[in-house]
Amino acid sequence: MKAQSQQVQALDGGLPLPTKLAERASLGKRIRRNWELYLFVAPALVYFVLFHYLPMYGVQIAFKNFMPAKGIMDSPWVGFAHFERFFHSYYFWDLIWNTFGISLYALAVGFPLPIILALAFNEAKNGLFKKTVQTVTYAPHFISVVVMAGMIITFLSPSSGIVIKIMAWVGIDAPQFLTDPRWFKTVYVLSEVWQSAGWGTIIYLAALAGVDPQLHEAAIVDGASRFKRVLHINLPTIVPTITIMLILNMGNILGVGFEKILLLQNSLNMESSDVISTFVYRTGLVDAQYSFSTAVGLFNSVINAILLILVNRIAKRTSETSLW
Amino acid sequence: MNVADSAIKSSRGDRLFMLGVYVFLCIALIVVLYPLLYILSASISSPKLVNAGEMWLLPKGITWDGYTLVFQNSKIWSGYLNTIIYTVLGTALNLAVTLPAAYALSRSDFVGRTLFVIIILVTMFFNGGLVPTYLVVKDLHLINTMGALILPVAVSVWNLIVARTFFQTTIPRELQEAAQIDGCTNLKLFVRVVLPLSFPIIAVMALFYGVGHWNSYLPSLLYLNDDAKYPLQMVLRQILVLQEMTAETTGAAISGDIAKAMNSKAETASLLKYAVIVVSTLPIIAVYPFLQRYFVQGVMIGSVKG
Amino acid sequence: MGSYAKTGKLLLAASVGIGLLAGCASNEKKGAASATVNKEGFPIVSEPLTLTLMAPDTGEQDWKKMKVLDVMAEQSNIKLEFRNAPKDSFDTKKNLVFASGEYPDMFYAAGLTTAEQINYGQQGILIPLEKLIEEYAPNFKKILEENPEVRKSITAPDGHIYALPVIDMSQHWYRNPIWYNGDFLKALNITKLPTTTEELYTYLKRVKTEDPNGNGKADEIPLTASNARDVNLRDVRTWLLGSFGVYEDAIYVDDNKTVHYTPLEEGFKQYLTFMNRLWNEDLLDHESFSQTDEQKKAKIQNNQVAMFSNWNAYMSLGGEPSTDDPMYAPVKSDMVDKPVIAENAGITPGAFAISSTNPSPEASMRWADYLYSYEGSLLFSKGPEGILWKYTDEATRTKEYLPIPDGGTDREKYRSTLTPNYGIPAPTINFDDIDKGLKGDFDMWVMKETQTKLLDQGARPPFPTLFLTSEEQTQINSLTSDLNTYVNQMEAKFITGAEPLSNWDKYTATLKKMGAEKMAKIYQGAYDRWASN
Repeated sequence: MKAQSQQVQALDGGLPLPTKLAERASLGKRIRRNWELYLFVAPALVYFVLFHYLPMYGVQIAFKNFMPAKGIMDSPWVGFAHFERFFHSYYFWDLIWNTFGISLYALAVGFPLPIILALAFNEAKNGLFKKTVQTVTYAPHFISVVVMAGMIITFLSPSSGIVIKIMAWVGIDAPQFLTDPRWFKTVYVLSEVWQSAGWGTIIYLAALAGVDPQLHEAAIVDGASRFKRVLHINLPTIVPTITIMLILNMGNILGVGFEKILLLQNSLNMESSDVISTFVYRTGLVDAQYSFSTAVGLFNSVINAILLILVNRIAKRTSETSLW
Repeated sequence: MNVADSAIKSSRGDRLFMLGVYVFLCIALIVVLYPLLYILSASISSPKLVNAGEMWLLPKGITWDGYTLVFQNSKIWSGYLNTIIYTVLGTALNLAVTLPAAYALSRSDFVGRTLFVIIILVTMFFNGGLVPTYLVVKDLHLINTMGALILPVAVSVWNLIVARTFFQTTIPRELQEAAQIDGCTNLKLFVRVVLPLSFPIIAVMALFYGVGHWNSYLPSLLYLNDDAKYPLQMVLRQILVLQEMTAETTGAAISGDIAKAMNSKAETASLLKYAVIVVSTLPIIAVYPFLQRYFVQGVMIGSVKG
Repeated sequence: MGSYAKTGKLLLAASVGIGLLAGCASNEKKGAASATVNKEGFPIVSEPLTLTLMAPDTGEQDWKKMKVLDVMAEQSNIKLEFRNAPKDSFDTKKNLVFASGEYPDMFYAAGLTTAEQINYGQQGILIPLEKLIEEYAPNFKKILEENPEVRKSITAPDGHIYALPVIDMSQHWYRNPIWYNGDFLKALNITKLPTTTEELYTYLKRVKTEDPNGNGKADEIPLTASNARDVNLRDVRTWLLGSFGVYEDAIYVDDNKTVHYTPLEEGFKQYLTFMNRLWNEDLLDHESFSQTDEQKKAKIQNNQVAMFSNWNAYMSLGGEPSTDDPMYAPVKSDMVDKPVIAENAGITPGAFAISSTNPSPEASMRWADYLYSYEGSLLFSKGPEGILWKYTDEATRTKEYLPIPDGGTDREKYRSTLTPNYGIPAPTINFDDIDKGLKGDFDMWVMKETQTKLLDQGARPPFPTLFLTSEEQTQINSLTSDLNTYVNQMEAKFITGAEPLSNWDKYTATLKKMGAEKMAKIYQGAYDRWASN
């Protein structure tokens, strides 16, 4: 029994390399010993094959001219025509720039805030106040895009908006938040952060629950201040979660949704508000263009996947956490 | 430096730190609370005053028409019921599929886990689109059944990865090894040791998935034909349809019939928008405080010792 | 293990099924029932027949309980099953239905675009209707004979008719009219409405400076518009553009049958110049590019606005319909002798279609044809007699309203529980006789305003409703999106001064580079084809 456990540790920890023979033997052994784990993943794998891999043949319509009556398989091939149309669009580089800009801006502001908020929640004493703040900050997640956009427009209306009125009262000359292209991304990102920061804390709170109280006890004996303990005990505990969240976010960098942008978009801020998804939406308004939107979607996926692989590699090198 | 001295010193620093924490939380509270109160007030205020920007915090020109209209709708209660059923069963399925898989993938001694992870990650980027997925659902004879709403979303890659990370980082490896040495099978290990240690992540997963089901709209639009089976979000969207129409048809002269229809709704439409938000989200917001107790530090380790 | 084996089988079955389905959308008919379809009168079929119908649903209605559909089912012997989708997501579901191979028997108020009609028609999903019209649609056939332009507008380039239209020859507005706030006119003692752009400017200037709402504050907004999904100014643009000799929308045909692309025209530049002047002097609401419809309405209700667009003025001002707020009569600029005025063509294509899997296209056509008769159109627009209305003299088709049943106060709302034709582009024709006796003083006044200010001044459709060929459509599709985006942006920039009008040449050069002239050329070809038919 004891020998076995040593072996497990040896393989896991990458300690002394066993001989090739031993490795082969232990591989078969390991598979057999953990046979149940295959059953654990089986339902999920069946799900992914059934609902994701089986329909994946649909990707080919990006290279075809999809005709519903002919079906996906029999629609005629057009090669890279849809991609070329996208790349040659007058707005192609604007779209790329805006999409990246909004995503990275949102990440820079929106990613750290839930972490700080979660650490703060964790410090606050359990009680009504903590419960209230937690629940209140979580609530905006449920506000629909339509209401959200409506409120933004109302609050920022130059003639009647509350934000504008407060700024005027303080003596600040309010900019044209809604129509000035320079302000669009800020309005979008800050409202996004407002809506999702509280929701984003949940995952870190769960990770923080795993902190070993013994570590804190020991640190207190050593005379560490509260701030130091947060910095050196709590934060490191959630670093793997932070890393994974960051990698996943990077893998979705071109996936800026169209609904809210569309509602906040107007002809005056268009040059900084138009992103890939709104572009596809508008193209679709003229005519349902499955093939074109699939092609653009595929382009997004490829870029996203490349970014995810890159970031994952960096994470693997610099920390112990990575996706694979 | 004696111990008592340093304790006092650090406690002064700690008090300052805690003050900072509370000030930060208070600011967060105020910033977030204002728009929420605004929504509550707007849902019972005269739409004219709301749109003119005259109602800015407390309700003005109080009217309950928005709520009356929502609850007058005969489908709203069946919608609530359907949503609760879909959410409970759907979330149960999600947990049953996600947690074991996430645990297996968290085990470094699980041969083939990198392959599985990559197989799963690929689906995050490449999907066949609406039509092929619809055909799969159709071929499984799920159209117009509850299965169409919960099976195609049985696992979310994102959640699976998050759960795996949790297992990887918080379940002590020594614990698993010890259990295995004791001759504990993987199933027993998972059910008796790992799960009881994982209440926080179970709560998170239940919340993420549950909220997903609660807010879900597209699958019911695509796969359901019978409006008796519509979930709440679908019913609410139907109530809001005319409101949406006004936005899309601005300026376009369609017909007198449509214009009059929209006008008779216009007054209440903007009220409804807010009332609908309140009606659809209050129940799910109310759930959260009950889950919060699983996010308290030490809750897990305590359970191990106990 | 048993359950896993089962899943495996399921998986296999699914993959096979998909292969088949993707290969061929089912095209077989469920057995023709044409033998039992009566060519005229009711019932339509002697044996009961059940058909499925797909339509947009505006929400609170329950199609299974509508009196109109009950009456129709009873007299026709055709029972309907509904596969409706909420109106705001109808297009998503419609696309899916076409792509998945599970078609309803009939599409109702489906808003099929001409491109969809050609695509799905040529792919065999929608069946050609012209032969059926000949034999089974006496009412619709009569309409086509009396209105040759309707036939021209609904016939695809391949000579087939794939869908029936909404025909409303009594709805003349191309866009909602602009209305003057009557109170302001009175306060400023205006007896004659502006007829030139200069007079219009003067009026707007007086509104701004002379406090017509009398509250002592300079809070008047002479002209306002709203932004809806990046379609800025659409609600006022059309009426102001006409003053400079061009029609709104990208494409119009002039009196010499030459097709123009509006954003390239000199008239468009003059319009921008005029609007820029209004903007600079604060006569055009500076929130026009960002405010929602609701915010615009709130300002109008607050009695701050002199001119605005809506279906009727009272719908924005609140209160009862009033004849005190006159309709805007398009004014002329120095550029032209008289303004051009756009009129609605009255034909909205794509309202009704029959799918290839329909078991009885003949019966379906007869069912739809009834909607184009006086009786059918009346039934679907007003509900059965005796609920909301009754005849005072059936011979002359004169009617009167009955009090709203169940003590209701909202006639439109009650109507929506009776008939599906509520807020959707349903296949029908609007006869003048339908509203005989039901029109109030206000309706008559609006009709008169429309007649004298628009129709008598030479209003006409800017461009006929017509079909493009598939190739033309493909080219237009790839041009439209970018062009529209650019034009919308530049229009806003020129008006607000973010881009000086001295850059007009640069702007037109860019448009040409983006293919604006090609667009006009394609439409010219389509127009010539239409005109020669």
